Parts: sequence; structure tokens; C-alpha cells
Amino acid sequence: MKSLFILNNPTKLDACLNAMSTQDGLLLIEDAVIATHHSGLSCVTYALEEDLIARGLSQLVKQHLVNSNIKIIDYTQFVELTLQYDKTVSWL
Amino acid sequence: MKSICIIFNKVPYGSQSSRELLDIALMAAAFDMPIKALFIEQGVLQLINKQQPEVLDIKNHSATFKALELYGIEEIYVDANALNNYQLTHDDLMPIAELIDNNAISEHIQQSDFVLML
Amino acid sequence: MAIFSLLVTATPYSAQGQFSALQFVRVAINNGHSIKRVFFYADGVLVASRLNHPPSDEINLTKAWAKLAIEQDIDLVVCVTAALKRGITNHAEAERNALTGENLDPAFEISGLGQLTEAMLESDRLITFG
Repeated sequence: MKSLFILNNPTKLDACLNAMSTQDGLLLIEDAVIATHHSGLSCVTYALEEDLIARGLSQLVKQHLVNSNIKIIDYTQFVELTLQYDKTVSWL
Repeated sequence: MKSICIIFNKVPYGSQSSRELLDIALMAAAFDMPIKALFIEQGVLQLINKQQPEVLDIKNHSATFKALELYGIEEIYVDANALNNYQLTHDDLMPIAELIDNNAISEHIQQSDFVLML
Repeated sequence: MAIFSLLVTATPYSAQGQFSALQFVRVAINNGHSIKRVFFYADGVLVASRLNHPPSDEINLTKAWAKLAIEQDIDLVVCVTAALKRGITNHAEAERNALTGENLDPAFEISGLGQLTEAMLESDRLITFG
């Protein structure tokens, strides 16, 4: 089963990555959007655009991510993304 | 029936969330859902023997962990790596959980229909 | 189109989770999905007090949930054990437990954890906001 891990706390990123399997995806929301620069993000990773915009980080992160595989998605895509995975795991 | 994996990852008593998470596990058991309980990272400390939160006037919920089996929750696993990090051994814990490694933790999460933390 | 249920455990105002959950519900409905139930648990139940009264230039989360629930006919359920522990009660629970007063916003109902399990089993996805 493919899981979408949803992380809202950047301090728990390592523990979350540890629990993931290779086919899983990671969605960074709330404060965890600041973790987009983390070097260990080898999994499919998404960051929630509204949370980046709210924190004034949208442009910065987009420039930074030009050559990265992290995708910036909005709430509409967030809702649809949960359906592309078999389940979500909110890592608290 | 869909299965559920309940993950305990907090130190007991500083937060009460494990107590409320335990209630979700018991309710899922009442619905006959297959349940796995995982104790990982700091959550391994939930299983230490001889907890005495009574000295702080906090209710001791660790007795309920011992009774999980009575509720039909028999798959209980503890993160061996985390035990090591806290210099604990299996003997320091209530004898209810099986030691597993990180890969097995990921597999249990992967196999379950629902995964809940609190 | 899919059926979602949400588990909301985030404490209102001190954390973002309630705002995120509201946003998720609004967008899911706009996109044609349906919400079976939003189940409030742990500190998440605090949002159900009709006495929550933030300054007028801040969003009132209780009213935001209530508006959404009424417009879209969404089931907002508060866990009875978690709620009573934190001073959230309706008239019936106040009487049963000999408490004076009641503060549950009428858009919310108080029920047991079984409502969460049922929502999990009857929805396509359960999303937790903690």
C-alpha cells in the first residue's frame, strides 16, 4: 500500500523519513514547509503552496527548487493527492 | 475488516496524548478491526516497568498497555533501535511487545489500512 | 468523487491544524467531494465551545466550522470523554454529570469514539490534522 505521509512539524522530519517506504510520498504542510531545503529528501516530496505563501517563502523556495524534484502543490492538489495514495499518515 | 496501526512516539506524562491514543486503539478493537500497536522513538518509554506517575498525581495509564491483549490487541511491537538509544533492554519493559527493527516498522505501517498518531 | 472524514486533534488558536482542516474541507467540497464527518478529539474538542471569543480581527474558528457545517450539512462530532475532561458540554451531558451550564455550539454534537471508527470505515480517506 502506498502512503502519503503528511508532516506539519519540521523537527520530526527525520523520524518521518525513517518510517517511510520507498513507494511512499511526503507532503510538507504548515511549519514543515521550511524543510524543503533538507538534503535527505530522496522520496517523492510535495510542499503546500498556501503554507509557503503565508510565510513569505513561496518565491524563495521556487527559485531554490528549480533543479529539485520537490513539487509545490496547492490545496486543490492536496485533496486530489490524498486519493492517489492508498492512505495518508499524519506524522505527529 | 480494515486494519489499523496505532503509533506511540511520545514520552509518557509530559504529554497525555498517548492516553487518548490508547482509547482509540481500544475502540478499534471493539469494532473487531485488526490492530497493530507500534512503540517507536521516545514512545518506547511508554512501556517501561514500574512507572509511578502517582507521585505527580497523574493517572497511570501504563496498566492499560498490559491489558491490551485482553482487548484482542496482540500485535505489539517495540523499536529495538530506540531501546538501544535509551540504553534500555527488553527486561526494562512490560513483557508485552516484540522487538523489531526499522524495516519492520515501515512494513507494518505500509500494510495497515489506517495509521494513527496523536 | 470521494468521501472524506477528518480527525482533528489540533488545539485551536495555539496551532495551525484547525485552520488547515477547515481549508481542506472547503476545498474538498468545492472540488465536488463530500465530507462524511469531522471528528474532534484531544485538544481539538476545545473549538466546539460557543464561548470562544477571539478579538474581532481574528477568525472565530467555532463560527467558521459552524457556518461550513450548516451550509454543507457536515457532521461535526466531538468526543464525549475528551470534551467533558476539557469543560465542553451540552445540556444532556451537563445534566448527566451534574454540571452547571453548557457551552457546546449547536452546530456540533457530542458522541463517542465509535463515531470516529465508523467514519473511518465508511469514508474513502481519513485525514488527521493534529
